[in-house]
Amino acid sequence: MEHVKLLIVGAGAAGLSAALSAWDAGCRDILLADRSAIPGGVLPQCIHRGFGLTAFGEELSGPEYTERLLAALAGTGVRLSLGTEVLSVSHDKAAVLSRRGCVSRVRFERLILASGCREKSIGALPVAGTRPAGIFTAGQAQEMINLRHQNPGREVLILGSGDLGMIMARRFSLEGKHVIAVLEQGETYGGMARNYHRCMEAYHIPLCCRMTVREIHGQGRISGVTAEHLDSGEREYIACDTLVTALGLIPERALVRELDASPWLSLAGNCCRVHDIVDSAASQAQRVGHEAGASLS
Amino acid sequence: MERFDAAVIGGGLLGCFAARELSRRKLDIALLEAREDVCTGISRANTAVVYPGYDHEPGTLKAEMTVRANAAFDRLCKELDVPFSRCGSLMLSFGPRADAVLRNKLQNGEANGVPGLRLLDAERVYAMEPGLAPGLRHALFSPTAGTVNPWQLGIAACENAVHNGVQLRLNTKVEALHRDAEGYLLETDRGSIRTRAVINCAGLAAHWVQELLFPPSVRIVPTAGDYLVLDKNSVGKPTHILEYEPEEKVKGLTVVPTVEGSLLLGPFERDNTLDYATTEGGLFWVREQASRLLPGLDLDGTIRSFAAVRPNPEQMDGRSIHSFCIEHPAERFWSLIGIKTPGLTCARELGQYVAAALARELHAEENKAFDPIRRAIPKAHVLSFDERRKLAAAEADYGEIICCCEDVTRAEVLEAIRRGACTVDGVKRRVGTGMGCCQGARCEQKIAALLSEALRMPESAVTKDGKGTERIYNGAC
Repeated sequence: MEHVKLLIVGAGAAGLSAALSAWDAGCRDILLADRSAIPGGVLPQCIHRGFGLTAFGEELSGPEYTERLLAALAGTGVRLSLGTEVLSVSHDKAAVLSRRGCVSRVRFERLILASGCREKSIGALPVAGTRPAGIFTAGQAQEMINLRHQNPGREVLILGSGDLGMIMARRFSLEGKHVIAVLEQGETYGGMARNYHRCMEAYHIPLCCRMTVREIHGQGRISGVTAEHLDSGEREYIACDTLVTALGLIPERALVRELDASPWLSLAGNCCRVHDIVDSAASQAQRVGHEAGASLS
Repeated sequence: MERFDAAVIGGGLLGCFAARELSRRKLDIALLEAREDVCTGISRANTAVVYPGYDHEPGTLKAEMTVRANAAFDRLCKELDVPFSRCGSLMLSFGPRADAVLRNKLQNGEANGVPGLRLLDAERVYAMEPGLAPGLRHALFSPTAGTVNPWQLGIAACENAVHNGVQLRLNTKVEALHRDAEGYLLETDRGSIRTRAVINCAGLAAHWVQELLFPPSVRIVPTAGDYLVLDKNSVGKPTHILEYEPEEKVKGLTVVPTVEGSLLLGPFERDNTLDYATTEGGLFWVREQASRLLPGLDLDGTIRSFAAVRPNPEQMDGRSIHSFCIEHPAERFWSLIGIKTPGLTCARELGQYVAAALARELHAEENKAFDPIRRAIPKAHVLSFDERRKLAAAEADYGEIICCCEDVTRAEVLEAIRRGACTVDGVKRRVGTGMGCCQGARCEQKIAALLSEALRMPESAVTKDGKGTERIYNGAC
């Protein structure tokens, strides 16, 4: 069985940062596994700028941010295993890894989970109606447009004004689509002020606060929703051919669900808690990586 | 013109089993399905319970068939290689009316020959299901109740039917029927088919199909039901099927720990509707009932809601039909109209029933080559580490994970497509992709790409669930 000192699960901003710090702290035996075929986690599909002000002192795009981290990684001996799903982690400090043609067991001394988060899906909400095509999470829509060059839709309603919701509102506008509105349950937008100004105001996209979706309509493809004004209880039908949901992020810890807090397990980045900006996820991951690396050097 | 001895109209659970059971005889059989895949109608949304048989009056066909079907279910699922969980059920009483219902069901069950039925006191029930709300009086424990995935069972029956020579004709809608001395002529949107005999299993359209040739005798009044699905990792899941028998004379909540590990809650029943759209009131009712019955159940684990539609058969004068409605309007024409609960439990028995009746009329010989065995798509996630390692080494695609929530590999997805999946949901129904906590957000893209590649169609033509549900916007709406 293969043996590594430090296994890091997830090669997004947090996993890459943790790996670099652990290496710098003196750990020379690091395996960094990621399920995707390309490293960077969600960053490669975040083609907008705004990353790295704290870490690099300049505004970078997601792909550029990834390049910086990968350039640094190239100078280390960290082994990066892409297309590799970590299937399970057990109490005896062993993980099962699966990639094309190879399922293997790896023993480790420390584990850093840097698996990011997943998006809450519409199914989690008590939204009634049909289940037609044309409903995407914001991340799904972002991947379709930015990485696959596919068109998710034309008349777009966005539910949720977190950063991802607002960024996708702008993205759809830039694609020449009509963003009908961004609906938000709260009193004001959920994300950062700078994203509101840059993504919503600058593109004249209406933000409808204290509103939510109650019912989905449409056979085949979505044709509209029944939305509710939460304060008055009034309802209105909003026609759309696409519903993009930005309902929030859930830290992805499925892999360690059955493990109790173990001294050999650390959480880095958004799987620990959801950070507003990449830099802060990365800097928390650096601390975690440094501590783990120093203990293994 | 194509000629067959028998044509089964409708590729749902019942049609697939009718075709499979017919293929035990030396007959040329066609299975006709209007849509692009089998099990896309009633069969895809169901409470998924294999009933023990205490719900029906002694001496009725339903009672007799259900008890027999239940007893044979392990063997059937072994033959067809479909997961079946005989988890047992608890019918729960919190008051005197429900107590009386339980006693009545116990009596029925005993008269029907349901094995192992026991009326348990509250203490015993809480030991079995510690998460149940306080105030319980009794439960009717039925160890033989179980759960099966309805569409997996139907797809397995279809595969086995095809393996035994049945010709599956997809995208083939029967538009007109004619009868002459030779038999029946079916006009479909893909040309005409001659057949000596017909089995009509057209689900919600079964009465219309029969009326293409015969005067109306039964009508279908559909009812819908709203359900919620909780993720397999939800806290507070029960281990038995729970059937809450309320004090008011309404249908109570059913809770089913499915073979996939998720938890199914429902149904909230709505009368006289064909609407697959869930209702706010229904979803609210299910949530409220669930939190009352299982206070510790974490409803934040909800991952999906859906509606099921069932066909209730009625006489033309509005009287409801309680028995299975098996019609025989003419020689060599059989219809299963408005088969609802326990249709899933009895799917094979109903197929066997009409197949046997038809075989007698056709003087069909036994097909000695009939092979009842169907092998499921091998699932990586149920294997031991060593088995999985060897499989991935032998077949590289078994190492590549496509659906990370449910741990489904590329090899499984490709095999699902090879076996007939042609939509994202078709893959889901065969290998369970997209059924976990992210509901396909992370794998849908990859599955669409694999469908496009394997079926040599542009990705823009890949649909979620058949025509009109293209995943990529094409401006057609």
